[in-house]
Amino acid sequence: MENIESKLREEAKRLLLEKRADIIVGYEKGTLPLTATPCFVSTEAEADKLVYNELCTQNLAKYVHDLITAHKNSQKRVKPEDRKKKVIGVVARGCTTRSLIIHLQERQYERDEVYIIGVPCEGYVDKKNLAKALDSAEIIDGNLDGLQLKIKTAAGDKTIAVSDVIAPNCAVCRFNNPIISDIMVGTPAPVKNPATEYDKISEFEKKDIAERWDYFTKEMEKCIRCNACRQACPSCYCPTCFAEQSQPQWVGIGEDKSDTQVFQCMRLFHMVGRCVDCGSCISVCPMGVDLRNYLKKIDKDCWELFGTRAGSSMEEMPPLGKFSEQDKEDFIYNP
Amino acid sequence: MARRKFATLKRFLNYIGVEGDRTIFTWVSASEGDRFAQVIKGVTAKVKALGPANKMLKNIA
Ligand code: SF4
Ligand code: SF4
Repeated sequence: MENIESKLREEAKRLLLEKRADIIVGYEKGTLPLTATPCFVSTEAEADKLVYNELCTQNLAKYVHDLITAHKNSQKRVKPEDRKKKVIGVVARGCTTRSLIIHLQERQYERDEVYIIGVPCEGYVDKKNLAKALDSAEIIDGNLDGLQLKIKTAAGDKTIAVSDVIAPNCAVCRFNNPIISDIMVGTPAPVKNPATEYDKISEFEKKDIAERWDYFTKEMEKCIRCNACRQACPSCYCPTCFAEQSQPQWVGIGEDKSDTQVFQCMRLFHMVGRCVDCGSCISVCPMGVDLRNYLKKIDKDCWELFGTRAGSSMEEMPPLGKFSEQDKEDFIYNP
Repeated sequence: MARRKFATLKRFLNYIGVEGDRTIFTWVSASEGDRFAQVIKGVTAKVKALGPANKMLKNIA
């Protein structure tokens, strides 16, 4: 990908200088080699730390929501006529803009409260794929040279192409360029390979029901209920999550197997028409739970049944917010 | 829309491995006493055929 970092920094500085945005959410170099981490930029000098490359994993829409909510809460004590709006700038690629669209459609904030700096996306490096390619050798140092990763590991030097360790969701991404933006930095990236996006799901669907249940229980046994997946997900923004409610208590907080299954089942199911396949939850999961197998199924059903993909258009209503006479009725029980 | 939720829920539960026949959804009006009886009979028969549910159950001993 063309290097757009200098353009991005310039743009960020201009926005701050012209007071078009109060804070800009972007990525900076991470503390570990070959990582990038979300960062907040509120002064021109800070804008120089912004980076954008294939190591940026997290969906930044999460932080936009967090910042706006925190600001709104802080304004509650201010007289209505003195309340100020804050504008959050955000470096957004395709999936991030989809999440922003979902927030806007769900009336979380107004369009003029975000300033979207659109960037193209070639997909990001998946930690687990990278570890596999390196035979789990420890990464001592590394840098990105175009679309090649130059890595110094405990087991010697290696060069790996980004495309060989790309995240599974990025490889089949349909929306790798911003859907909405206020300004576009860089030229749109070439389209990916979305034709195969549901292949694995169709395969899994054909498995025997006992086998499917086995896989679900095995995967969920890995989960330690750290809630990182929920914290990373832009669509998980409830002030009090059902998992932590005590009156009524929907799900136990302990290590009981069934509690974990119910928690996962409910979080996953809350993603109908809301999961943008950004992979943020998967990339933060410390136990490597296969969440995507289920999230993608939900996306597939949503597409097959309602012809909608989450956050794919600003004009189209969210799938669960509307109804069509053409909807299939085979799920209704008629004795 | 509740109906869209149920359409996806049934598919989703079946996908994770909970028999689709356990997720039953229909409409019964307050004036349809007969239909209500039929539905309940049908549901009972279906569930009996499947046997007791043993998935996602918590053991509170
Ligand atoms: S569920 Fe995961 S992949 Fe889907 S939007 Fe949330 S973080 Fe992204
Ligand atoms: S991040 Fe992984 S381990 Fe943590 S709660 Fe989510 S699925 Fe479970």
